Amino acid sequence: MNPVIEVKNLSKWYGNVLGLNDVTLQIEPGITGLLGPNGAGKSTFLKLITGQIIPKIGTVSIKGKKVRNNYPLFREIGYCPEQDSFYEELTGKEFLLRLLSLFPYSPPEAEAKAEQALEIVELTKEKDRVIKAYSRGMRQRIKFAQAIAHDPEILVLDEPLSGLDPLGRRKIIRLIKEYQKKGKTIIVSSHILPEIEAMTKTIILIHQGKVFAQGDIHYIRDLIDTHPHIVSVKCDQPRLLAEKFIHEDFVLNVKFSPAEDSLLVETDNRDKFFSLLPSLFIENKIEVQEITSPDDNLQAVFDYLVGK
Amino acid sequence: MSIEVNDLHFSYGKVKALSGVGLDLEEQAIGLLGPNGAGKSTLLRILLGFLSPDEGEGKVLGYDIKEQQSLIRRHVGYMPEDDCFIPGMDAVTFTSYFGELSGMPRQEAMKRAHEVLYYVGLEEGRYRLLETYSVGMKQRLKLAQTLVHDPKLLFLDEPTSSLDPQGRKEILELIKDISSKKDIQVLISSHILPDIEAVCSHVVILNKGQIAAQGEISKLKELKYRLYEMKVKGEAQSFLEKLKKMGCRIEATEDMILKVYMRPNKNPQEIFRLASEERIQIRHFVKSQSTLEDLFAKAVGVD
Amino acid sequence: MTIKEKGYSHWEGELAEKKLPWWPITRFGIRSTFRKKFFKFFFFGALLPAVVFLVGIYISERLEDFRFMIRNQTNFLTVDPGYFKSYFTGDFLLFMMVAILVFCGSGLISDDLKHNSLQLYFSRPLKKGQYFLGKASVIFFFLFLVTLVPGLVFFIMKLIFAGNFKFFASYPWLPLSIIGYSVLVTLFFALYTLFLSSLSKNRRYVSILIFAVYIFSDIIFGIFYGIFRSPYFALISLKVNLQQIGAFIFNQKLPYSIPWIYSFLIIFSISLLAAVYLKNKVKEVTIIK
Repeated sequence: MNPVIEVKNLSKWYGNVLGLNDVTLQIEPGITGLLGPNGAGKSTFLKLITGQIIPKIGTVSIKGKKVRNNYPLFREIGYCPEQDSFYEELTGKEFLLRLLSLFPYSPPEAEAKAEQALEIVELTKEKDRVIKAYSRGMRQRIKFAQAIAHDPEILVLDEPLSGLDPLGRRKIIRLIKEYQKKGKTIIVSSHILPEIEAMTKTIILIHQGKVFAQGDIHYIRDLIDTHPHIVSVKCDQPRLLAEKFIHEDFVLNVKFSPAEDSLLVETDNRDKFFSLLPSLFIENKIEVQEITSPDDNLQAVFDYLVGK
Repeated sequence: MSIEVNDLHFSYGKVKALSGVGLDLEEQAIGLLGPNGAGKSTLLRILLGFLSPDEGEGKVLGYDIKEQQSLIRRHVGYMPEDDCFIPGMDAVTFTSYFGELSGMPRQEAMKRAHEVLYYVGLEEGRYRLLETYSVGMKQRLKLAQTLVHDPKLLFLDEPTSSLDPQGRKEILELIKDISSKKDIQVLISSHILPDIEAVCSHVVILNKGQIAAQGEISKLKELKYRLYEMKVKGEAQSFLEKLKKMGCRIEATEDMILKVYMRPNKNPQEIFRLASEERIQIRHFVKSQSTLEDLFAKAVGVD
Repeated sequence: MTIKEKGYSHWEGELAEKKLPWWPITRFGIRSTFRKKFFKFFFFGALLPAVVFLVGIYISERLEDFRFMIRNQTNFLTVDPGYFKSYFTGDFLLFMMVAILVFCGSGLISDDLKHNSLQLYFSRPLKKGQYFLGKASVIFFFLFLVTLVPGLVFFIMKLIFAGNFKFFASYPWLPLSIIGYSVLVTLFFALYTLFLSSLSKNRRYVSILIFAVYIFSDIIFGIFYGIFRSPYFALISLKVNLQQIGAFIFNQKLPYSIPWIYSFLIIFSISLLAAVYLKNKVKEVTIIK
């Protein structure tokens, strides 16, 4: 696949405050989750790729075209900022219409697009209320609506889920996934890792202004050699099972849960371990309830790469 | 029984906020969920003694919610959602200040402030002005002031809002520690379901001023039918064929998870027998449950 | 011995209602005021008139010793209620009081609104009235230090310097006037400041308001009085209203020929409006959103 967004040696600082430090990467169509601790440079990155701020060093190009001052290209970008930025006295619909009037749409077209966006975020009933009177969830939704109203190719969402209730989150996550199916490119940042996982397996992890990891979560996890994999097996005879593989050299550590119903195995060779496991169950008549990898998820990846 | 209320009704003018809420909670960690406007805030306002219900009665920590409102507030801890602090104070002054306002003697409040600040991990920033605190530190500070008077019941409102993954994990671990080891009960109101799942054993789901569901999370999540989720590695073709012959229905999801429906008369251990025959690695195997999100959606009547 | 395990431990003690539950609020307010830049400078400036007047009282008793300094003026420096009135209603003192208000009062409520601390206060067993009392007591403390305290000190010193109770016998009501006027002015300024402080989340705006409302009400009065020559315009000025009341309380000739009761009614209704506004502005229940 051709990368949609290409970033080369991107650096940005504000006075002596570091925003981003020498970032080079490519983003392909589909959903990309952007994560990192507070102040890592996520918002700076999103503002740079949408051409809102100028990098000190480096270039950003979208579909091979430079982003800076390339106004026709901006029509293909939808951006949902993290902070609230509204004309509080306008109604929800007026707000969308004014923003849409920046595009070369005829008034009826703009009207239709506004209505459609309102319907997608389920604000049709509240469209004539002033934004000042909106609740936090409604504000978040109208912000999302203005990002998608012109049906952009590239959607950049900075914390689109914060302040939403569970139903709102579910709804927005579904919308984002639908956009992905249309072949669009979506970059979404969030602090809530399970939500990123619910949307995508592809992530970019930014920390200290640099890219610490990019790609598929499980692939990234496999690259982290310093932390052997942990496998949890819940079964009726954890000690018997442990006895059977304790002498294997790929098993580094075995721990039992306080409830005596499962064991945690640390291994540096999952292939060998998992190949052995089924036969051990059968030979020793061990009844298995669960096999899970507690550290093969985004939280673990995040902790291993960012944690102290 | 620390929270015991019966048939609570409340309305703001014509708007009905609660209609017949009854709770009897004694679990250590309870999640309070609900969409916006479900009546969560109203319920909290009544439980903390800011509003008196139109109908119904109840007790919090044995104090009557209509008669002994200020006693309730003396003995519970409340952690607000918003970022809040008092400028010009350091953490020790701040924490002991609120200890004193809860009715602790001054010297005791001072000693206790240091203790809880150690506990929440703010020992190094204790003497720094609060204006210089980061988001994560402010969140810990809020928890410290909630704990300073050693309450038996904590109300936490969106305790992880605006935290990054690291900060979120640390706060959740603290809450888990408090609720599991320290005979302190915790009621968490939150929109972030994974957080609730990480900390709480029990949930109450409100919808339209009524209780839509409540109970132990693990029980609520249980499915009636036998469905297993697996991830396999290796040449799985003939393994899957044999499973199908046993009468299992298999579905593959987009992220490579196999969902296996088993007939009740078959033993799930058969899967492992087949795997060992076919030299297949089973890397992930769990009995499928509904997610808290699905549960929530079902309870409030959305698909 | 038993080991102490890491982690949370319980507090062995009883939570109880205190006699002055709002006292920590006041204590912190006073302390943080003293920590402010330039506050001490203004505060001692505000105490300056007290020192001068105290010296005056001393001189009045030792008039014979200072006779060489003055010629012909026999009626120089008589300490009577008028002397007290001119201390209490002096332009300089009132101005310095407003300056103190800016330091100690501007942030009292506005900071709490800005940083959402009301939520922390009211989740404690603290009632709204106690909260306001705690905040207002900060203002009471500082204003009493420049009104009530010097006033009573003057009175006592006068008796001590004189060595007899003649002064008390001639004006037995004077201590009551001192207390009455101090309480009235302080109460008014406290409500005035708290009210302005609850209008904005920004303490700078509040500081400007506290100053501007006081000064401009006086300037506007000056302009109108200059044009129309009607003493009734004096009712616009906060300063003149307080001076009218002061003159009445100390049984002196009123500076403007309008009834003192009008001034009192104006000051009283401003205070009342401020109190009602505060009561409605700060609501305990809204701390849970």
